[in-house]
Amino acid sequence: MAYDIRLKNVVKVFSSGKHKGVVAVDNVSLDIEDGEFFALLGPSGCGKTTTLRMIAGFEQPTEGSILIRDEPMEHVPPFHRPVNTVFQDYALFPHMTVLQNIMFGLKMEGLSGDAAKQRAYEALELVRLPEVANRRPSQMSGGQQQRVALARALVKRPAVLLLDEPLGALDLKLRKQMQYELKSMQQQVGITFIYVTHDQEEAMTMADRIAVMSEGRVLQVGSPRDIYEQPQSRFVADFIGETNFISGTLESHDNGVGHVRLAQDTVVDVQMPKNFSLSSGAVTIPIRPERIGLLPNGNDSPFHNMEDITILTGHLLDSQYIGTDTRYTVKIPGDNEIVVRIQNVDYLETVDFEIGQEVQVFWSLKSTHVLDH
Amino acid sequence: MNWFKSQDGRGFLLALPAIFWLGVFFILPLFTIVVISFMSRGAGGVAELPYTLAHYDRTFGVFSVILIRSIRIASITTIVCLFIGYPLAFFISTRKNRNFQNLCLFFIILPFWTNFLVRTYAWRILLGDAGTINAILLSWGWIEEPLRLLNTEFAVLVGLIYGFFPFMVLPIYASIERFDFKFVDAAHDLGANDWTTFWRVVFPMTLPGVLAGSALVFIPSVGAFITPDLLGGTRGLMIGNLISRQFGGSGNMPLGSALSVVMMAVVLLTLLVYVRFGINREGDD
Repeated sequence: MAYDIRLKNVVKVFSSGKHKGVVAVDNVSLDIEDGEFFALLGPSGCGKTTTLRMIAGFEQPTEGSILIRDEPMEHVPPFHRPVNTVFQDYALFPHMTVLQNIMFGLKMEGLSGDAAKQRAYEALELVRLPEVANRRPSQMSGGQQQRVALARALVKRPAVLLLDEPLGALDLKLRKQMQYELKSMQQQVGITFIYVTHDQEEAMTMADRIAVMSEGRVLQVGSPRDIYEQPQSRFVADFIGETNFISGTLESHDNGVGHVRLAQDTVVDVQMPKNFSLSSGAVTIPIRPERIGLLPNGNDSPFHNMEDITILTGHLLDSQYIGTDTRYTVKIPGDNEIVVRIQNVDYLETVDFEIGQEVQVFWSLKSTHVLDH
Repeated sequence: MNWFKSQDGRGFLLALPAIFWLGVFFILPLFTIVVISFMSRGAGGVAELPYTLAHYDRTFGVFSVILIRSIRIASITTIVCLFIGYPLAFFISTRKNRNFQNLCLFFIILPFWTNFLVRTYAWRILLGDAGTINAILLSWGWIEEPLRLLNTEFAVLVGLIYGFFPFMVLPIYASIERFDFKFVDAAHDLGANDWTTFWRVVFPMTLPGVLAGSALVFIPSVGAFITPDLLGGTRGLMIGNLISRQFGGSGNMPLGSALSVVMMAVVLLTLLVYVRFGINREGDD
C-alpha cells in the first residue's frame, strides 16, 4: 500500500509563546494512504491542528519524523512541500481578487499568463463559482470564500490537501451541503485529504478513516464504523455519538464472552475484545442508546426466546420527546442509569410509558463491548 | 424616533459647531489667501489691487529652486524614515512580549517630551564647525579640518528625519500589529518564499500604514521652517522659510500667499495619492 503521509513518533513541544512548554502532540504515528479521506478528530486543544501544521511545514516536530511520499520533510520549508492547505478562516488575500488569489500559487510555480488563467478558471469551475473571478474576498459570503479557498489550494494539484476545520464558520445547512460536495470533489480529483475537525458527525460522514485525538495522543484509528462500534477507550466511546457507560465487575470469560456482574443478582454477558487487558476486575460496558429496546415489564416479547439477548428490569426515570426519537432514562440494577432511544415511527405499535413504571430493557450481545476503565 | 441615529436635519446639528469653526477659521482664511495671492504688493508688504499673476510667476520662476528643494528634502526625509521605520516597526510589532513592545514605543515617543526647538538647537551643537561630531572626528584624526555640516541641506535632512521619525513608525506599527500572520502561512503554503511573501502579501497589506506614515512625514516636512531656519542656513532654505519671511516686517503678503497656495497644492496632491492607494485598499476590507 502506498502511503502519502507517514508520521513516525512525532512529538511537538512548544518552545515559546503563550503555549511554551506545552506538549501539543505526544508521540503520534500515522500512516495515511494514497487517495484516502483521513480525518483528525478531537476536541479543541487535542493537537489535531498542530499535527496538520507540522505536515504543512508551519511547525517543526520536536521529535520524530514526517514523510510525504517517502521523502523526509525535516528541512523542507512549507513552500517546497507537495501539500496545500485550506485554512480555517480561509486566509484569502484581501488585497487580491479571487482570480489573483487562485493564480498566486501558480505564479509561484512560474506559471503565468493564459495557461495560469485557464487553470484558475478550471479550479473555479470545480468549486462551481466561475462568476466570482473578479470579486474581492470581502465581497463574498462565507460559503463562497470557503470554495475559493478550496480552489486556491486545489489548483496547485497537491499530493495531499490539508483542511483545517474548513466548514467551521458556515451555518449548519451549508455545512451539510459542503460536506457532501467536499467528499464528491475528493473522489473526483483523487487527492488525499487530511481533514481536521472537532465535529464527530462531520468526520463520520466524510472520512474513510478517522484518527481520534485527545491531549496530544492518537487514541484510535479506524473506519467510522470501527470507531463507533468498537471504541477502544472511554474517551472515544463518549466523544463519538452518545453512549451509556454501565459499570460492573468482570468475573470470568469464555469463548470471547465475558460475564459482568452489575449487582448481586444481575450478571450480563458481553463481547470481549481480543487481547483484553483484564481477565477480571472493574470494567465498563459502553452501549449505544439506540441499540437498547424497551418494553413494559411483564410483557412477553418475541425477543425473549432469542439467543444472546440480555434482558434487565428497571424503572423509568424520565422521558424526553426529541422529534425523531424519544429518549428514555431507565434505572437498571447496580445503580446504573441508562438512556434508551426509541425511534418515533407509526408503522409499529407504540407504547405509552409512564414515569416511574417498571420496564424491561434488552439488547443483543452484538451491541456490547467492554472497556477496562 | 431615535434622536441618536436620526438621519434628518437634527443629526446635522451635531456637526454644526465644527462646521462653524472650520468655516470661520479655515475656509474663510483659505479663500482670503487665494484672493490675496492674485493681488499686487502695496506699501509695507500688504495686498492691494490690481490683480496680477506676478507672484505665481516668481514662485515658479526664481523660487522654483526652493520649491523643488523643499519637495526633494521632504521626499528624502520620507524615504529615509520609511527605510528605517518599517523594519523597526516590524521588529516591535512582532515581539511576543507586550510590555517590551510598549517600552519600545515609549522610547520612540520619548523625544517628544522635550521642546522641538530645544531639540533642534541641540543639533546645532552636534553639527557645528566646532561641534561634537567634528570634534570627535578631528580628535580621531579621521579628518584634517572641520566638515561643513551645519547650514547645509544635509543638516536640514538630519533634523527633519530626527523630528518626524515617530510619525512614520507609529502608523506602520499599528498596521503590522493588525496584520494577521496566517496570510504568511497561506503564502508559504502556496509556494512563495520569504522574500516573495513579504513583497506580495505582507507589504501590500501593511501599505495603509506606510502611506499614512509617509503622509504624516511628508506634509509637515515640505512646509517645515523651524528646522531649515536653525540648521539649513541659506543653502538649506525651504519654502516654509520663504513664506514666513513674506509675512514679517517689510515682507510681501501676496507673494507669501502665492507660495502658500502652491505649497498647499503640493500637499493636496500628496494626500490624493494617499487617498487613491491607501483608503481604497482599506475600504475593501
